Amino acid sequence: MKQVKILFLIAFSLLGLVLASCVPGGTQPAQGWSGITLNDGILYMGSMDGKIMAVNPSARSQNLSFPADGEWEYSITAPSGGGLSCSQTSASVAIYGTPAVDEALVFSGGYNGKVYALNASARSQNLDFPQMRDNEWFYPKTSEVIGAIVGSPVMSEDAIYVTSSNGKVYCLDKHFGDKKWESDVLGDKLWSTPYIEGDKVYISTFDGNLYALSAEDGSITWSFATESKIGFVSSPAVHEGIIFAGSFDDNLYAVEIGESGPLWKFTGSNCFWATPLVSNNVVYASCLDGKIYAIDATNGTELWSFDVESPVVVPPLLIDDSLVVVSDSGEVYIYPLETDASVGNTVVSMLSIGVSVQAPPCAQEGIVYIRGQDNCLYAVDIEQGRVIWKFPLTTQ
Amino acid sequence: MAELWNLIILNPMLNGLIALSSVSGGSFGLAIIGLTVIVRLILLPLTLKQLKSTKALQGMQPKIQELQKKYGKNQQKIQQEMMKIYKEAGVNPLGCIWPMLVQFPVWIALYQSIMRALATTPESLLNLFQHLYSWEVVTQAIPLDSHFLWLNLGSPDSTLILAIIVGGSMWVQQKMVTAPSADPRQKSMNSMMLLMMPFMFGLFTLMFPSGLSLFWAVSNVIGIGIQYWITGWGYLRRGTSAQVVTKVGGKGGITKRP
Repeated sequence: MKQVKILFLIAFSLLGLVLASCVPGGTQPAQGWSGITLNDGILYMGSMDGKIMAVNPSARSQNLSFPADGEWEYSITAPSGGGLSCSQTSASVAIYGTPAVDEALVFSGGYNGKVYALNASARSQNLDFPQMRDNEWFYPKTSEVIGAIVGSPVMSEDAIYVTSSNGKVYCLDKHFGDKKWESDVLGDKLWSTPYIEGDKVYISTFDGNLYALSAEDGSITWSFATESKIGFVSSPAVHEGIIFAGSFDDNLYAVEIGESGPLWKFTGSNCFWATPLVSNNVVYASCLDGKIYAIDATNGTELWSFDVESPVVVPPLLIDDSLVVVSDSGEVYIYPLETDASVGNTVVSMLSIGVSVQAPPCAQEGIVYIRGQDNCLYAVDIEQGRVIWKFPLTTQ
Repeated sequence: MAELWNLIILNPMLNGLIALSSVSGGSFGLAIIGLTVIVRLILLPLTLKQLKSTKALQGMQPKIQELQKKYGKNQQKIQQEMMKIYKEAGVNPLGCIWPMLVQFPVWIALYQSIMRALATTPESLLNLFQHLYSWEVVTQAIPLDSHFLWLNLGSPDSTLILAIIVGGSMWVQQKMVTAPSADPRQKSMNSMMLLMMPFMFGLFTLMFPSGLSLFWAVSNVIGIGIQYWITGWGYLRRGTSAQVVTKVGGKGGITKRP
């Protein structure tokens, strides 16, 4: 009987371990997939260990020690209960949004529900944060939070717009971080990145609505709802008065702003997770079904598609006359685009960085910068078709 | 191995859960309750086997205590005699363990399904799409409404209500099957087990998403129902002073207490 009891104890302990997330796939911690912004020759991004970083590609190509000229890092931490422990510890904060940069100020939102404005000069000197005289701030200014921030912050001339998991859009003063307005609750949670055009802020929601808000006061000026309230999974893209966004039921919607019905719907074999790219009346849409679709923006007709055999989580990039697609499995494809988009395309180059990619890349002068889920930054020369340098973001 | 697990067990259960949510009017809470009931019904034969084995072993406690008195510290002899008794009664001492262990993968899959379906982080939501079938009833149900009664199923219950329900129901279920023992060591161990597990799960309830706690609560309540069906209120009603009245059959069967 004693043995039986011991077996019981072992079995229950095992159950405890299982419940404590020791079984893979039980719970997935928030790690972040911040994209990269290039500004004035410096790359800005969030790392997977909660740092906002400025990386100088020139210094990285020379393999100089970090931080070199123009480089810095700042760790965002938040109090944590420390699991079963009663003591409070600090944990790194996941960063999902791509930072927005305006001259010396870098704006980023954290999964801890705070918005940060960092001054590059103050961060280079590693001064205490925030340096008010350098226009550094965080919002909310108290210990309160506004709900986890997943979408990227978006700038207008004098304001920053962020979405929050509490379902609201916030408009903050760019220089002081004061709240200009907050919207009504637009959905259960907002994880999408707003799109600013003119005096309107466009938002897609998980409960199947597209909204146009007044950039002045956050009031709703127009809304669109899908049939059966099918939610939107991607952030919206706006092109010539049409909003494009992927929905949870594997459709890409095109909706004319001001209308109540969709202009067209295009169905893939899985979700259009990434924000579509629209150029010259062609929508380039990455799909989790492993294909890139080129769709006529006016009528939703498929012009061509190409199978990359791995889900594509990030938007494609348009570099000169080529489309660059980075798949989740780390393959980089380069398509030269024909003048006649309906002709179709042939991949001229493909290389693999060998790690999962879920963060939107950026490009300049023929170099694509990719942050892999191994928390390394890769510089890929698309003409040479090779990785020219790799920089680990965790070792600093 | 992980792919096989996903293909055979996790994905069908996950998609079933989401489809149930869709047909339950979009209520993920009702889907969790529904799937827990279905899984417990499927596992009912194993549960009954486990209960019968446990009951049969408990029925032998007086005889085992006699052996312990008779042979003192001669553990080898006690073991030999115990095995004889088990053999005579046709009871396998591990008979109550194996059915429980067989159920483990199912509970793990159910746990994983709930956690995956809730998709509390952006990574989880992205990962969820790799496990979904292209059924309309599934894709149209995403993202799931995480609100049920007063609960946000993706977050721990900040009130103590669910923790009390989970801990309390677990205590009742255990109390119904925990036989009183005259042996002080056994008694102490029983008391520890009786309190430790409800306390542990009550604590988990305060830490884990309440969708998972809802599953524990419903599972416990169904467990109490099955237990009641087999043995009535068992040791919960009789307390620790009453005599155990159980007739052990030749094949380890039990007689329901009138």
